Amino acid sequence: MAVLSTEDYYMGMTSAPIALGSDVTQPTRRGSANFDQLNLPTVENPDQVFADITREDYASYINNFRGFENRLLSKTDDTTLIDRGRKTAATQAKTAAEIQARNLERYGGGGLSQAQIQQQQRSAQRGGQLSMANTVNNARIRQRDVNQALLRDLIGIGQGVNSSALGGLATAAQGKASRDAAFKNAKSSYRSGLVNMGTSILAAFAL
Amino acid sequence: MSKPKQSDYKASASEKANASVALAQKNYFDDVYLPRQIQMTENAFQDEDTLIETAEGRANADTMQTLTSNPNRNAVASVNTEADLASALSSMVAQGTDQGYIGARGDQVGSIKAANKMMSDTQTGLSRIAKIEGTRDLSIAQANLNKSLGFMKGVTNIGKGIAYRAGFEQGKGEDEGIG
Repeated sequence: MAVLSTEDYYMGMTSAPIALGSDVTQPTRRGSANFDQLNLPTVENPDQVFADITREDYASYINNFRGFENRLLSKTDDTTLIDRGRKTAATQAKTAAEIQARNLERYGGGGLSQAQIQQQQRSAQRGGQLSMANTVNNARIRQRDVNQALLRDLIGIGQGVNSSALGGLATAAQGKASRDAAFKNAKSSYRSGLVNMGTSILAAFAL
Repeated sequence: MSKPKQSDYKASASEKANASVALAQKNYFDDVYLPRQIQMTENAFQDEDTLIETAEGRANADTMQTLTSNPNRNAVASVNTEADLASALSSMVAQGTDQGYIGARGDQVGSIKAANKMMSDTQTGLSRIAKIEGTRDLSIAQANLNKSLGFMKGVTNIGKGIAYRAGFEQGKGEDEGIG
């Protein structure tokens, strides 16, 4: 029977709700007994590990994602919708004509006169052209929308890239400024120390 | 006054646990999530045509099923049947193209956004390393400087001591001469 301490309670290692100081029958440290058995890696040199990992991550990004990013960037002038729309309209006009021809055969010409058949063909031709114009015009509008949306997304991504890059440069500049200031301070302290030492030696021998 | 011991500066148990857990989680991410993220990105770009064709095929099939399931004599004889069918098919298939295309583009943008988020974290990490290393180098330089300054101060004190002593001896000799 373990008695809870305040530390256990605030470390969140207990099964709540349990009153402080009360006897408990359940485990008081959930999972803590297993921690040492997890075979976690030992980190002897955390700053070196951190440096290695982040450099590897950068290389991984370049190798695994940069190519795809460039492909996405090249899609801002994409015309897939327009190209496919044009192809679709032509294909569907052809398909509809084939269906009509099969149905006419099924129904023995459907009792249509030559004039009716000609009119049907003219209508189909006109309908096909209108359909083509309609499909391609709509595709142009949608293509522009999609490309603009992609540009907006890319600009958002670019803002993040720029911000991170500026952050990195700011850190580098800050580091350089700190080093320069520290170097100047060190030189002046050293010089002052040398002067003090020299004057005291001179004083020792002058007297 | 005791000499500084390396053991006084060793990492605490919680620091070690923090580093171990962090590294384990990082390895876990690299082994489990990163390959999937790469796979997702590859799929997003490779599957664009497949997604479009799937959506087009479904739109085409649905439209065909609706408009051609009852080929009666009236439909065959109608002047506009063929034109209407072509128009409806084009329109519906174009919508299918849209859906597939927009879906594929959304996947591509999402995967590149995720990759860039990761890249941003990496860059933040590199900045932090630079800061850590810079701070450490400056501290080491400061420590070396302190060592030199300490030596100079010691020599200065010795010099001062000698000077005071000489002054004292000189003064004492003059006093005795006067006396």
